[in-house]
Amino acid sequence: MKQNLVAILGTGTIAQGIAMTVARNALDVIMYDESEENLKEALKGIEFAIDREIEKWGMTESEKRAVLSRIETTTVKADLANAAIFFESKGKTEEEKKELISNLDFISDSDALLIMTTTTISVTEVSKVLRDPSRLIGLHFIHPVYKVPIVEVVKGLKTSKETVLRTKQFLSDLGREYIEVFEYPGYVTTRVILPLLNEAMHVLMEGLASAEDIDKAIRLGYDMSMGPLALADYIGLDYILEWLESLFKELGEPKFRPCPLLRKLVREEKLGIKTGEGFFKYDKEGKRVEK
Amino acid sequence: MKILTLNCGSSSVKYQLIETSTGEKIAKGAVERIGMAQSILSISTSKGKSKKITKEILDHTMAIDGILQLMIDKELKVISSYDAIDAVGHRVVHGGEEFKASCLITNEVKEKIKENFKLAPLHNPPNLRGIEAAQRVLSDKPHVAVFDTAFHSTMPEHSYIYPIPYIFYKKYKIRRYGFHGSSHRYVFSRLKNFYDKDLKDLKVITAHIGNGASMCAIKDGVSVDTSMGFTPLEGLVMGTRSGDIDPALILYIMELQELSKQEADSLLNKHSGLIGISGISSDVRDLEEEIQNNNYRAKLALDIYCYRIRKYVGAYAAAMGGVDALVFTAGVGENSSYVRKKVCDGLEFMGIELDDEKNNERSKKERKISTDKSRVDVFVIPTDEEYIIAIDTEKIVKETKE
Repeated sequence: MKQNLVAILGTGTIAQGIAMTVARNALDVIMYDESEENLKEALKGIEFAIDREIEKWGMTESEKRAVLSRIETTTVKADLANAAIFFESKGKTEEEKKELISNLDFISDSDALLIMTTTTISVTEVSKVLRDPSRLIGLHFIHPVYKVPIVEVVKGLKTSKETVLRTKQFLSDLGREYIEVFEYPGYVTTRVILPLLNEAMHVLMEGLASAEDIDKAIRLGYDMSMGPLALADYIGLDYILEWLESLFKELGEPKFRPCPLLRKLVREEKLGIKTGEGFFKYDKEGKRVEK
Repeated sequence: MKILTLNCGSSSVKYQLIETSTGEKIAKGAVERIGMAQSILSISTSKGKSKKITKEILDHTMAIDGILQLMIDKELKVISSYDAIDAVGHRVVHGGEEFKASCLITNEVKEKIKENFKLAPLHNPPNLRGIEAAQRVLSDKPHVAVFDTAFHSTMPEHSYIYPIPYIFYKKYKIRRYGFHGSSHRYVFSRLKNFYDKDLKDLKVITAHIGNGASMCAIKDGVSVDTSMGFTPLEGLVMGTRSGDIDPALILYIMELQELSKQEADSLLNKHSGLIGISGISSDVRDLEEEIQNNNYRAKLALDIYCYRIRKYVGAYAAAMGGVDALVFTAGVGENSSYVRKKVCDGLEFMGIELDDEKNNERSKKERKISTDKSRVDVFVIPTDEEYIIAIDTEKIVKETKE
């Protein structure tokens, strides 16, 4: 087992963010996906994110080379065997996650730490496929992972103290703050922010004020760096709709019922920054186009 | 005495084994890329032998273990056993206000170094990790800490207090600390080779111009002011650091480009200075070459760089009420005749006259580069921070034994 090798299953934005964060902290990364194409796209995504950071003075060209040199990719699961820490960030459903985690059970060293990224899927449920369920823990990251300093640590019922301690130490090594949360839909961050975003959309839909003015009022009024509508565009409206629906279904609370305007925008494929339009318009580089 | 000096960074350890009676560097080298799959361990000996090994070195303990293994290597024959090492001297970047001189490392000292983590978050933690690793491997040897800040602990209040509410000093110890102390102290001490009188009678300005750069005003034999401040960002223009700027700039830029604290920090520490102005390189040698090709921004960068040094020469002469000697040291200070010339040009009014021929001479020796009639002597003195670490360690070990 190589203490400094971190395996990441998956190539989505969260997986990319984890890879970049880990490699920036001088650890080696191996990313797995069965599709060569997805892996290439992930590397491109990481490079794009680094370039944005360089533009904003957050990183340098030599740091970029160092980070990229630490990230390897593979389409063969067995190549991950030496890793000391595994991130499962690929499965979209409980079933998919269970399958991947049970694969890892056989590939990984029995001392290796198993982490699944999760927003709603239960760590306890997934851990049932493991011979030793105490090894599995959940982490909830917020996009962009390389920039957002807070991570929610989700303990399953069987997760051991040792696993929790190692995970916390690992997060500290990555320069991250964390909070421990109980296994419950939405945890803290998603559950608290969604009603705010949803309500801002209702206010806009009801014609109380313009999108710009809603954001301006909340930003300046409550000292937030971003208004709720700009934040929704930034996160991605499709994600927000998905989370709201999931929380509405799980908790049955009307405050999580998605605003019809959100549904409309998602239907129109106006998903926010990533598609160039949401509540506001954006250029190719994701910068706001002023009206 | 044979002293092992250690300079531990987050992923590297530089070391030397020094015989203090002769000043001989019996062996020196480094461990790089600690914690990565392929760490590099190197050594070269005073007898001209060298070796480079690539292997997995996961932490500082393994690194120091690796260094010692190399020293007793049968081919290299540096020492026959660990017993030959008398003591270990550690470079520690930040001593805070507590450490005004080098000291024997006790548990209490380690606690205090830890308390200073917040003052030097990048440097003190690996320094302490190195100390603990070395103590584990060489548990029966005395270990001594030599602080970069200690030499500047003699600064008067009016040099080190910042003109911001006094409570920041009282409550958080926010003040000028200065860095490169061992280097300034070393080159100052070497002036004994050039003067018959007591060095305490001299007013000296030392310019440590390397990748990081700082200047120091030395009067009555002690540091009375230095250009780096609470952090190594203040003062001179450096390879990638801005040095002095209007502090309001950063607030303005942060708002303008919506920068986070980390991005603002990186902007000033990694994207500014020579690389920021020139857009070409942080290395003075590259810029000198580009100036040959009439590159405007390369020239501008070095103009600003040298102008800032010159301003500090003037400031420190005024601060001390005169100057007898100006010393250049470290990478750029020792090797760039261009920078030295540009700094000194126009300072004839205060008695600084460079001898162009001596300035242009390439040499690794300590030398005077001013003309004989120059009222201020200008020197190039290669720095040797490890030597300071070694002699301080020896002194403290002897004192402890007595």
